[in-house]
Amino acid sequence: MKYSQKRSQRTSKIAAVLLLCLALTFLISLNTGLIQIAPIDVFRLLIGSGSEQNAVILFDFRLPRMVIALLIGAGIGISGAILQGISRNELADPGILGINAGAGFAVILFIFYFQGNAASAGAAIWVLPLFAMLGALLAGACTYLFAWKGGVSPTRLVLSGIGVNAAFAALIIVFQLKMDPKNFSQAIVWLSGSIWGTNWAYVLAVFPWILILIPYTIYKSRYLNVLYLGDELAKALGVRIEKERRKLLITSVLLAGTCVAVGGGIAFLGLVAPHLARRLAGPRHEHFLPVTALIGALLLLAADVIGRVILMPTEVPVGLVVSALGAPYFIYLLIKMD
Amino acid sequence: MSIFTRKTKAMSVCLLASSIALAACGSTQEQGAENNGAAESTQEASEKTEHTLTDAMGNEVTIPANPERVLASYLEDPLTALGITPVAQWSVSDGTSVQDYLQDSLQDVPTIPHDLPYEAVASVKPDLIIMDSPSMVEGGKYEQYAKIAPTYVIGEELNNDWREELLTVGEIFNEEEKAQSVLDEYDQKAKEAKEQIANAIPGESAAAVWLINKQFFMVSENLSSGDVLYNDLGIAVPKVVSEISKTDDANWLSISMEKLAELDADHLFLINSDGESANELLQDPLLQNIPAVKNGNVYEFGAKESWLYTGAVANSQIIDRVLESVAKQK
Repeated sequence: MKYSQKRSQRTSKIAAVLLLCLALTFLISLNTGLIQIAPIDVFRLLIGSGSEQNAVILFDFRLPRMVIALLIGAGIGISGAILQGISRNELADPGILGINAGAGFAVILFIFYFQGNAASAGAAIWVLPLFAMLGALLAGACTYLFAWKGGVSPTRLVLSGIGVNAAFAALIIVFQLKMDPKNFSQAIVWLSGSIWGTNWAYVLAVFPWILILIPYTIYKSRYLNVLYLGDELAKALGVRIEKERRKLLITSVLLAGTCVAVGGGIAFLGLVAPHLARRLAGPRHEHFLPVTALIGALLLLAADVIGRVILMPTEVPVGLVVSALGAPYFIYLLIKMD
Repeated sequence: MSIFTRKTKAMSVCLLASSIALAACGSTQEQGAENNGAAESTQEASEKTEHTLTDAMGNEVTIPANPERVLASYLEDPLTALGITPVAQWSVSDGTSVQDYLQDSLQDVPTIPHDLPYEAVASVKPDLIIMDSPSMVEGGKYEQYAKIAPTYVIGEELNNDWREELLTVGEIFNEEEKAQSVLDEYDQKAKEAKEQIANAIPGESAAAVWLINKQFFMVSENLSSGDVLYNDLGIAVPKVVSEISKTDDANWLSISMEKLAELDADHLFLINSDGESANELLQDPLLQNIPAVKNGNVYEFGAKESWLYTGAVANSQIIDRVLESVAKQK
């Protein structure tokens, strides 16, 4: 009891510091871009005055993008945390279950068959994310089904995920080879993860999922704690493992699918965020899940700022920035692991 | 103790993330201001009024009376043909690669990335945006661009017919007559050139081949410079060209060395993007069987020429090059 209280206190402190970092990065991001808007003008715009052009840039171009970065950063982080929990594998992330590749394949199909005609331009605002979502769900379902053998063991889940991942990645390449170079480059940008849907409509589309699924996951913390101990111990503690695992897996796939739909294949974030959080807040899910969400949001928002600025005026896909920062950490992790 | 150090490490990663963002912010440049006044429209007509058009996507677009800061990425050819200077020009690789053949007219025009990020577009303060194809504005992008300036989308496919494209651009600027006269002039020029060529190399065939990264591409029979060579100038189509054109609808079609060796062309226009490094490849004995190579009728051009493009300006330059090449023959 006492330990848990101490932990909770520590978690609150960590959360407070992270929120501060987040607010700071948010302000920086708001002030950063090709067109410089002085902080005083930003303030003026926030209270409702200022030039119309700046208002468009701030409220229609920058803000929706930043909000999306926050939401999907948190979503990917939590999705990764769930997967690491239920697969008891520290290296699990949405990519490893084939979710990114599945969504990527759906998007490639879409670009290949429908790109460029006027009808798709009119409808695509919600069609493309929907395709990505369906692809993610399909991949998640495949992984689960292939892993099924009177129940799903964590190891089988990861192995089947790797297989599904490889299959979809191969399909992606088949279609890419047949593609027009112009569409091809668009597909590459999507696959490397870019917050391309910078539009309030996408914020509205993503927000409800995140708002429901993240608290739901935190509510399920105790099951994650027990599942993380291993199947036998969990069974002994009276948890209906298969049912809980399935629920959590679906939650994770839905979260990742939502994020991948508007953010493309952002790799590494789902791996790194839960790890950092576990180091900060300890292994209990009720402590480190909220921290994971905050870290995910912070990292993606920061990566987005960097991607916007580093090669200005060209924008670097945010997924590449995350990978560039995440890959060294991944290697460090592999070296540290016994 | 060990928990503490791990924690500090992890925390420092987070702090690092925000500080990198902060540092990156410092390198922001004020680009918008420089660009002001860099480009002016050459149109001075005053009696024009605002008018409304419906574009290829069905948007009602209100065109300003005298658009002065036009952004029409990859539509620079029709703009130039009509004497309009855009406010920024298409580029890839961070402005290093532009449409070289138009640089006589566009050398002072700043570049903009080809994928048109919102803020880059907003920073050149356009009063009219023209998009080359609907795929440029998919996924709700149209609404965003339209917040910057009225946005008109041309064409339903990736390969627009350049004549229609020119007429549409003319219509946007209330310059239909001028667009038509550009077309008439071009057709006149093509007709005269056709006669000259028919006299110089009667009945002989020609092909255009593009060499890039050690890979050859053959121009399609009816697209890009193929359209000029075969349709406008009436040069005979080699069998290999018509065969390969049926396989795909791209402008330039990849062709293997073996297939290229079968090319039955009397004249060969070689667009060489590889420069001197290609010499060895061009000496390949396989290629020596091509009639054009055998008879020394190969004309080499750099990638900066207009061969890879389409449009009134591009095509007119292609005609000049063909005439020069064939005249050299005589």
